[in-house]
Amino acid sequence: MSTVLTPSTTDELATIVRESLAAHRSLAVRGAGRWALALTRASGAATPLSMATMSGIVEYVPGDLTLTARAGTTLAEIEGATRANGQWCPLLPWGTDDGTLGATFATATTGPFRAALGAPRDIALGVEFVDGTGSIARGGGRVVKNVAGFDLTRLIVGSWGTLGVITEISMRLRARPALDRTLAVQCDVDDPAVLVRIDAFRRGPYVPLACEVLSAEHAGALGLGAARLVVRVGGNSAFVAESVRRIAELGTIDERAAELWTQYRALDPQQRHFTNAYSSPLAARIKQKFDPHGILNPNVLGEVAV
Amino acid sequence: METLRRIVGDRHVLTRSSELLVYENDALPGYHKRPSLVVLPGTADEVVAVVRALYAAGLQWVARGAGTGLSGGALADDVVLLGLHRLKKIISVDPIARLAVVEPGVVNANLTKAATPFGLHYAPDPSSQTACTIGGNVAENAGGPHCLKYGVTLNHVHAATVVLPDGEIVKLAVPADHEAALDLMGAFVGSEGCFGVALDVTVRLTPNPEGIRTMLADFSSMDDAARATSAIIAAGILPAALELMDDATIAAVEASVYAAGYPTDCAAVLLVEVDGPECGLDDDAAAIAALCRECGARDVRTARDATDRARLWQGRKKAFGAMGRVASHLAVQDAVVPRTRLAPILARISAIGTKYGVHVCNVFHAGDGNLHPNVPYNADDPDENARVHSAMKEIMELCIAEGGTISGEHGVGFDKLPYMEKLFPGDSLDAMCRLRDAFDPLRRANPGKVVPSHACREWISAPGFEA
Repeated sequence: MSTVLTPSTTDELATIVRESLAAHRSLAVRGAGRWALALTRASGAATPLSMATMSGIVEYVPGDLTLTARAGTTLAEIEGATRANGQWCPLLPWGTDDGTLGATFATATTGPFRAALGAPRDIALGVEFVDGTGSIARGGGRVVKNVAGFDLTRLIVGSWGTLGVITEISMRLRARPALDRTLAVQCDVDDPAVLVRIDAFRRGPYVPLACEVLSAEHAGALGLGAARLVVRVGGNSAFVAESVRRIAELGTIDERAAELWTQYRALDPQQRHFTNAYSSPLAARIKQKFDPHGILNPNVLGEVAV
Repeated sequence: METLRRIVGDRHVLTRSSELLVYENDALPGYHKRPSLVVLPGTADEVVAVVRALYAAGLQWVARGAGTGLSGGALADDVVLLGLHRLKKIISVDPIARLAVVEPGVVNANLTKAATPFGLHYAPDPSSQTACTIGGNVAENAGGPHCLKYGVTLNHVHAATVVLPDGEIVKLAVPADHEAALDLMGAFVGSEGCFGVALDVTVRLTPNPEGIRTMLADFSSMDDAARATSAIIAAGILPAALELMDDATIAAVEASVYAAGYPTDCAAVLLVEVDGPECGLDDDAAAIAALCRECGARDVRTARDATDRARLWQGRKKAFGAMGRVASHLAVQDAVVPRTRLAPILARISAIGTKYGVHVCNVFHAGDGNLHPNVPYNADDPDENARVHSAMKEIMELCIAEGGTISGEHGVGFDKLPYMEKLFPGDSLDAMCRLRDAFDPLRRANPGKVVPSHACREWISAPGFEA
């Protein structure tokens, strides 16, 4: 195993990429190193490149509900900074909060709040990255609406570090709801009729922040016993009261602490399906334009057919 | 040309100058470019055949929906114009999955009309929604007043079948959550007709809200209205829409057939709408009204019923049209700035208007910080024309310096091309060119738009390059 490369600035990273190109060395990009499967796929001759040390919030103006941070910033750090202002980082992905912002956007990891709060592609406002030629590029910006130029942000978010290494991200934040309640519901989730009623609730109009039917195993791990449905509702008091009334129609309810969601996310129930993203001629041309020598996370999303 | 006539039929290839005149400009007055010819395919197969024929003939082309764009993006300067408005079939509406599949020429409002029986609508609502097409919306990543809560076109497009400029047909889709794959659908939305032509688009439909409260707050100073906007956003209430109109815009609207009953003696109004389930809605509306009053609103009134609400909205949505009463031309900008900076930036914009002796009318999506400082003018008066363009340039530079962007929803097109180099460093522009070249290596689609050609390094170094 070669030494882990740890750039501390974007320019340093660009130099590392250019030197790697010259040395015919490929790079395995990681944040906190939590994506074991991807790291395995990118292993072999690739040199580990850790973004964990390129961290810190760059700009946070609470009144704008936007935040810019470097890629290695942990979700926990963003959670702490935003909570102090009654705000919320809407990512809340599967996994733990020692994961990094860069990895969450690079892997486009969603979580149980995706339907209510959006996916990384919806939350990202702008991105800075270093591509496979060592060139530094920016797409988007820090404002909440932006159509200036072609959308490099959507290109890079979810590309698993195979087109560029994210160095900085600007994102939307949310205000925390005035009331925020988590309810475990005892109901027979193996009964199709019950699932239909759960689905009807989930579809609105009282749309919850999250509404998850758990496996027996996950319910056990979360100490919920027989309760296999968990719902989180947020809003003003009238909205929450009516939501709770409707949830109570689904089964016996039991109030839980919001920490339940942190534990549930850490169980990480989502299996990732890796496609060969570069099998089409269009995708192969994109790879060729951004990482012509295939040095960034080789094999992670498949390879360009020769 | 014979090949094109064979594909689409004689009457759908236009070559006479009287016919081409119609396609000389989009909705942004002041620019005219005549296409070499206009071809109007009627089916997806015809679109593919036309694109392939143009590819084989080595011709460049510009795709166009309804021509309601506001950045000169659909101008075809002596190249072929590919009109897509005949492809207006709504292929399917799935109320369970809340998805619709439509052809690119479907008019935005017609999609909502088709979804209405199911209690659904298509959320992005550009003010031109009664005319603009879904294909054009996808190309521009169009916004609209209700995008504050519901998101822009990008957030509502699920999949598309696209013919690339070389004639290859590709299926693009937003990757599922469990799928590790490129988001080429996301990269395509907002590509301003430079990446290919969508043959069909799968869009998300949104449930109609159970309740709506529409409020009109009027202010005796622009500064107060801007501060109220920042206060509402900072308080964490997410209105469905939060629009600001200044006195000049109100005067134009109230003098027109779109008169909405806005007070003509105030400096600015905020049009604020909250929607959602009934329980909790009145509390949100009351909180917003209180914030407006705290910031100095003279009066906050709530629309009595659907008719009253429609009237309040009509004035806003037709404001650009109403300015046609003021002057023959209208310079339109679309910058976005941080929402906490609205008040000082609007004051600076006003000062810039005074400096150049031009009349800036503000009507915009305040909740998103998406400004539309518009200037009615006479483009045929060289002195006025020059002053308007100098003022616009200074306004754009101000917005960039304040950490904003040059376009929130109209696109760069042709009109905002000069600002791209002020906004992005050269390496970023080059990366954008590379993305375009992956979709369209020979630059056949919408040449010369979005990113200045001289910013593309591969092209500069290519033999025969002319800027």
